[in-house]
Amino acid sequence: MADSIKSMTPAQKKDLRKKSWSFLWRSWAIQASWNYERQMNMGFLWGIAPTLNKLYSKPEDLEKKKAAYQRHMAFYNCTPQTSSFVLGLAASMEEQYAKDPSSIDPESINAVKSSLMGPLSGVGDSFFQGTIRILAFSLGINLARQGSILGPILAMIISIIPSFAVTYWGGQFGYTAGKKYLKVLTGGGLMSRVMYLVNIVGLMVIGAMIASMIGITTPIKMGAAFNLQKTLDSIFPQMIPLAFTFLMYWMLRKKINTGWILLFCIGGGILLSVLGIFK
Amino acid sequence: MFLKALLIGIISIIAMLDSRMLGRSNLERPLIVSTLVAIVLGDVTKGLMVGASLELISMGLVNVGAAVATDMVLGSIIATSFAILSNTNAQTALTVAIPIAVFGQLLGIVVRMAMSTLSHMAEADINKGKFNRALSYHVVWGNVFYSLMYFVPTFLAIYFGTGVVDRIVKVIPTWLTNGLTLSSKILPAFGFALLMSTMLNKKNSVYLFLGFFITAYANLSVTAIAIFAVILALIVNEFLPKTGKSDKPVVSAAEANVSSSTESNDGGDDDDDDDLEEL
Repeated sequence: MADSIKSMTPAQKKDLRKKSWSFLWRSWAIQASWNYERQMNMGFLWGIAPTLNKLYSKPEDLEKKKAAYQRHMAFYNCTPQTSSFVLGLAASMEEQYAKDPSSIDPESINAVKSSLMGPLSGVGDSFFQGTIRILAFSLGINLARQGSILGPILAMIISIIPSFAVTYWGGQFGYTAGKKYLKVLTGGGLMSRVMYLVNIVGLMVIGAMIASMIGITTPIKMGAAFNLQKTLDSIFPQMIPLAFTFLMYWMLRKKINTGWILLFCIGGGILLSVLGIFK
Repeated sequence: MFLKALLIGIISIIAMLDSRMLGRSNLERPLIVSTLVAIVLGDVTKGLMVGASLELISMGLVNVGAAVATDMVLGSIIATSFAILSNTNAQTALTVAIPIAVFGQLLGIVVRMAMSTLSHMAEADINKGKFNRALSYHVVWGNVFYSLMYFVPTFLAIYFGTGVVDRIVKVIPTWLTNGLTLSSKILPAFGFALLMSTMLNKKNSVYLFLGFFITAYANLSVTAIAIFAVILALIVNEFLPKTGKSDKPVVSAAEANVSSSTESNDGGDDDDDDDLEEL
């Protein structure tokens, strides 16, 4: 990868630097509209919007631009710092797709995003919120207790440098690696095979998230003898989250308006909680 | 007092924007915000002491995934202000701040739900071709709503004293709090369902279930599942027919997507079977 940057013309280098800064700021700003339904979806769209605007700037590309914007409204959640790698990679995939629509399946861009977000969140959260934060603030607390203003300042410096470095170089690496390897992949018809394999990772990660990130249980009990949650757990754990997800999936397949489903999520949640069925 | 309340309100906005715009670079941590509050109120030494105590208490509390922890950021800002204004120690100030932190948590749930609605408004605008308006929901309105979520309680608490906020918290019925908590658990299920609707078909659904059941039974993290998924994908890769023999893609991700949106897609599935039989 280093070779490909060295062999660039000054203009290309300048362009790459500009892009890397954009990936950095827009990855840091990915949580500005964090929501329960699709979490950082609009944040990712905000990140990739400059790329899409550039690719589909002509009026006749309007429909393609709409489709591209809609594509990046899908569920997304990743640590902002490691997310820039995904943003860079997705940007290079979008460029490849715009150049030659037959070389790449647009939905595979989302498959790549969802298979990377899980592992990168795991690594990113434990590195930044675990290691770096604990390191920075245990030093900071010590100094602050002695009454030194250096405590908070040092804590901020230790926090911000790795955050900046990982986000900046991560975005650049994702973009250049994408440019390099996508060419190889799309050349030999390998792409669809890779996408199938990436889909395996993506779906397993979604399955794991259903089992670990929803956590709906039922408080229904009849005396000491019958505890519905225990009964369900003895069949298989996390049955209710799975059921809720597939109920939503079924409603989507039935083409029920997403506004209604959203209303069901909020209104139904309050109702089911008041009735004491779920918690 | 109005000026002080306003300035501390602005600090609360800075703390909120750390997560929104700066990738959570730890500017929101108690040690930092307490110091900032102390600078405004003119007692830096006290701020450092209170900040260090609050930082220690809240070190383990981080938002992970969809769960919203008791809002220690909001709690810290208000607790530090009270510790300095009423000349008490950090622990006493914290007991005053806890109801506010709980209120902040509830407000957080409501705001994050409201953001889901913005997501749908953005989609509608994309369909109309109003791309900049669609992006503004993220970068303008997301930040505005989140900032207000911190500014309003902070300003009110400093201006009127915590008594007022405490009374407001008591008026909110528990059934509503519990109901909204359940709703906030159902919404991610909808997000996952949306993601599945672009990726899932009858054939590859086994991978979703594999990821789900491993996590449900063994409580493994999403990162662990991602590692196993990559290994599984590499194993599957061994069993897929070699590419390059024919121009036909092995297993097309495009077919996977078509069959997820239409009930039956025998053509695509047959292709897969042929390829696998070549083994």
